[in-house]
Amino acid sequence: MSYNKPLPKINADTRPFWSGCKEHGLRFQRCKECGFVRWPPSIICPKCHSKNTEWIVASGRGKVYTYVVYHMAYHQGFKDELPYVVAIIELEEGPHFLSNIVGCGPDKVKIDMPVEIEWEDVTEEFSLPKFKPV
Amino acid sequence: MISLKDKYAIVGVGYTPQGRVPDRTALSFHLEASANAITDAGLKREDIDGLACYRHFPSASDEVDLTPYLLAQHLGLSPTYMSQDANCSRSHLQHAVGVLDAGLCNYVLVTYGHNALSSDSMVRLLMEFGADDTVFGHFGATASYALAAQRAMHTFHTGPETWKHIAVGQRKWANLNPRAMMHDRTMTFEDYYNSRWLVEPFRLFDNCLINDGGRAYVVTSLERARDLKHPPVLIMGMGQHNPAYEIQQSTYMAGPTGAKIAGEMAFKMAGITLDEIDACEIYDCFTYTVEITLQDYGFFGPGEGEDWFKGGTTGPGGRMPVNTSGGQLSEAYFMGLTPLTEAVMQIMGRCGDRQLGSKTNTKEPEIILCSDNGGVLQCHSCFILRRS
Repeated sequence: MSYNKPLPKINADTRPFWSGCKEHGLRFQRCKECGFVRWPPSIICPKCHSKNTEWIVASGRGKVYTYVVYHMAYHQGFKDELPYVVAIIELEEGPHFLSNIVGCGPDKVKIDMPVEIEWEDVTEEFSLPKFKPV
Repeated sequence: MISLKDKYAIVGVGYTPQGRVPDRTALSFHLEASANAITDAGLKREDIDGLACYRHFPSASDEVDLTPYLLAQHLGLSPTYMSQDANCSRSHLQHAVGVLDAGLCNYVLVTYGHNALSSDSMVRLLMEFGADDTVFGHFGATASYALAAQRAMHTFHTGPETWKHIAVGQRKWANLNPRAMMHDRTMTFEDYYNSRWLVEPFRLFDNCLINDGGRAYVVTSLERARDLKHPPVLIMGMGQHNPAYEIQQSTYMAGPTGAKIAGEMAFKMAGITLDEIDACEIYDCFTYTVEITLQDYGFFGPGEGEDWFKGGTTGPGGRMPVNTSGGQLSEAYFMGLTPLTEAVMQIMGRCGDRQLGSKTNTKEPEIILCSDNGGVLQCHSCFILRRS
């Protein structure tokens, strides 16, 4: 069956991130001047405005900063997933990343719960970084 | 900042039919509200030389982009100042006062209109708003504010047991307001708990309404206001703060939000304290927004909201009336114009059965505190209005 959920809209800023995902690497920009790791991607560091940037591969570990449980499908593609969890993950490297918590029921999800990455290969082109309890 | 205190006034409010009003364009609501506001102030089209439009959500598929120049054209205006926010920054009244104070304009019209309920605009908004978050099934404002509310529940004592007081209190006001969409429908705590989950921790009754309609007001200097139809409602204080981070990166979602600094600025300009506030008209896209705004303004400490709200504090007969039209939860949604215009009408004494004072066993409304909020707690404006 063809994939029926939205896919990322890649642009010049986000292309390295999604290319990394395809190879199962969760990549973020790190400022080579001040060391700040930023997300979402941008041409300059929000802390020091330097353009001197490198991409690092994150550990994929973090904890739940906050989460919600969807009981309503705003898009046809998510109808069969209900109820599902959208969470903001506070990654070890610093960035907060919005994703899903998989591998446990919505009632098991708690703030500060340790999670790690679980890749979901959804199409030939895209792999999505999702998170499961450690 | 101090010099702006009590120099400018809101002098007229424009309403339209509201609720489910099918087969009308968003433009038509803007125009009707604008024309009514001009008439209500006792002004003529030719007097209006400033136009500040609230953003438009994505236009319906059968409607063109709703620009401020389209509005100006249809209103027959050629203003010397014109603006529209693109994404929910809430600077309209500050822009208006700014251009009045700079001598660029004499009368500024601020307007909003939308056919949110009867067109396909909101469906289009959902996909736009989420961007790449839609990949993970994240859509719309309800879930983003619910993420904030969940974090707040972790950080301090709050949750449905607090929010039910906000929803029920506002519904009681709506039951006194014939214009409110929920005028004929009462709400008990049981009804609140029985309303369905949309995105947990938010139930349906934690959400604002989606409706058709428009709202507008006119602002001018106190000197000009004195010659007009209604008693001018003075802008005593105002402040704005925009923490600006989207929900993913926000570390202030459980407070202090922009309300803290915006509130401090407004109170400093007005030269008063919370004790002098008679009522509040608070931007209420969700119940939690009301709680965190009042908390950040300093009405109660983090987690003390439940105790503060319980016993009908904010409803008719309460010691601090909040959202006396029913607000966006129970009257209708017109962005910051729902709270602001209600404050104006209350101070003018034009609110019928819901009028603050002896009629509703509440304080006479000398001074009302208002808020406007945009994005997901990214933009905040605070206004203190008073009777002249």
